[in-house]
Amino acid sequence: MGKRITIDPVTRIEGHLKIEVEVENGKVKDAWSSGTMARGFEALLLGKDPRDASYVTSRFCGVCFSVHQIASARALDAAFGARVPWGGTLLRNLVMGAEYIYDHMIHFYHLSALDYIDVMAVANYTGKDPALNKVKEKVVGLVKRGDVFPLVPRYDPDEFSVKDPDIVISAVKHYLDALQMQVKAKNMGSIFGGRAPHYQSIVAGGFTQYPDINQVARFRSMLDELAAFVNEVYIPDVVAFGTGPLLPLAQAGIGGGHHNYLSYGSFEMNQSGKKLLFKPGVIMGLNGGMKIKSFDQKKITESVHSSWYKNDTPKHPYQGEQVFDLKRSDAYSFVKAPRYDDVPMEVGPLARALVDQDPTILGLIKNQGVKPGAVARHAARAIETKKIVEAMYGWCDELTAAMTKPRFKIHDTAHWEPPATGEGAGFYEAPRGALGHWIRIQDHKIASYQAVVPSTWNASPRDEKGKRGQYEESLIGVPVPDPENPINVVRVIRSFDPCLACAVHLIDPKTNEIRKFIVE
Amino acid sequence: MSATKRGEPLKRQYKHILILGVGNLLLSDEGVGVHVAQRMMHMELPPEVHVVEGGTDGFGLVNVILEADRMLLIDAVKGGGQPGSIYRFDIDDCPPYPDLFKTSVHQISILEVINLSSLIGSTPQTTIIGVEPLCLEMGMELSPQIEAKIPKIIQMIQEEVEISLGNKQDSTSTKDRCSRQYQ
Repeated sequence: MGKRITIDPVTRIEGHLKIEVEVENGKVKDAWSSGTMARGFEALLLGKDPRDASYVTSRFCGVCFSVHQIASARALDAAFGARVPWGGTLLRNLVMGAEYIYDHMIHFYHLSALDYIDVMAVANYTGKDPALNKVKEKVVGLVKRGDVFPLVPRYDPDEFSVKDPDIVISAVKHYLDALQMQVKAKNMGSIFGGRAPHYQSIVAGGFTQYPDINQVARFRSMLDELAAFVNEVYIPDVVAFGTGPLLPLAQAGIGGGHHNYLSYGSFEMNQSGKKLLFKPGVIMGLNGGMKIKSFDQKKITESVHSSWYKNDTPKHPYQGEQVFDLKRSDAYSFVKAPRYDDVPMEVGPLARALVDQDPTILGLIKNQGVKPGAVARHAARAIETKKIVEAMYGWCDELTAAMTKPRFKIHDTAHWEPPATGEGAGFYEAPRGALGHWIRIQDHKIASYQAVVPSTWNASPRDEKGKRGQYEESLIGVPVPDPENPINVVRVIRSFDPCLACAVHLIDPKTNEIRKFIVE
Repeated sequence: MSATKRGEPLKRQYKHILILGVGNLLLSDEGVGVHVAQRMMHMELPPEVHVVEGGTDGFGLVNVILEADRMLLIDAVKGGGQPGSIYRFDIDDCPPYPDLFKTSVHQISILEVINLSSLIGSTPQTTIIGVEPLCLEMGMELSPQIEAKIPKIIQMIQEEVEISLGNKQDSTSTKDRCSRQYQ
């Protein structure tokens, strides 16, 4: 029996996640992933006007609001029989493109980078660059004051951590620059989104707000700034880390897991929607070459075998329910276990890149000996950010051209009223991976609603067959030489960009000090 | 860093006053800040005042925070008082270490957002108007006890706004004002 290590909660992720690993001979032998917060917001939707779904679901999460909004709107499009005009699709693409840039930059710089650098090395910087010395002053000042957030909590640096003061200080500077850039990405999204957070412009049938030429120009000039940052800072940083200090981790394929990949496909590139920026598809294992199968939504089921719900057989999301059963001793997570054709899948940027057969990622695998795993996930995220930025220029051009046409439309107004009965599924590739919403309508009202979110796929617990979820499987064999410092475990988990949010958010200072400030 | 240090008297005549309501609208009283902000958006307010409903966003609020020199943050607060208790405290009265704050749905808590904002700009003088929740179950409405406090909360915010604009004298120090009864 190996040594059990529990990491609860895993920090610098979104939401609450507990990871437990059993370590034997310096390696992870077994692993358990538990979502420790209940969700089930779908219940709030029952009996409501179906059109409310895109607003309510955007409140599921403070991070993923726009992706829930669009997945929901797509489920409604399908259920209403609405055909989103090309103008509406372009606007949806542009808003979501801004969201991708924002999400991926934050994930790399603010949530992950501290796993790979020894941030305290900035104190040893002896160079003359005034900007970098300012960074040094800032960080050293924070440490001296004992005010070390956001640099903690973290594990001790290990042999893979970058300690070269010149590299570390420029990474920390980019951390600060990226903080400013994410502000721009957010502002850019809200030009068309109407407001941020919780955009309100993506609705059943299309988009609500007609753009004007000035807005497109503003959007474009912000895109220029972000494109420069992505191409001149973000991509070079990922390349420098991936082909430098992290190459051994990349080549070892640490954090690979099941090697089953699912992508719903995303970003329409033409009016028919037949051509997508990311193709949909499924890969079942990497043995015997990478075969891409077509995606069939009927093959999705959710198991509650190891989850705190009333025990039941796996169900398709149209039949799914949320009846909690906290007494089940065989359960260990609030996360259900989605399966495709009874098999656990990985979703997210790496899955998208492999399913899409992206030449850059395939080149890394073929020429650099990189194996799909934690480091490859960071690479895939950076590669797709660049791809999306390029596509966004095209969408801006097309939008500008479309706006001059007399019959420019952004909404299918003929299909705004909900049907008496109907059902629809909305699929979307969120930055974190495959997101699906399923709605059934009766008497013009919502009769059932289910969302299967990306982190549910990745963070799922064991199923009926005892098959581990993707986080769990990806931890098997991960080196943990020092049980006190399971840094590789969090590197692997954070490479997925977990988001298990969707819960409370109140200020709880865990001290009664605040009570003295009662004013009423 | 924040514009004023602990215990320093409130600076007068702010130019950009942000009323930021945060919380999760789907968890009943957890969304009290959102409900307050949504109502104040429809009120006639001085031009220096900007009402933002921040939901549960984290990093995305950095931009709105950095634009302001004075912020009134409305949120549910677990302070140990009776449900419906209203707290008023300045940001410096909170312990600076985020792990003392049982946050958060999402990436980072609102206090961490403020901390993070200070790395790239100057953060506003911040006062938190907190409400002790009664119910955190799923639901889109406030419990009646909390709902009943809303006019009071809005009145408190308006009073803070008047002081921040220099329209109203407030001779007491920040510390004393914390314990002032608004009844």
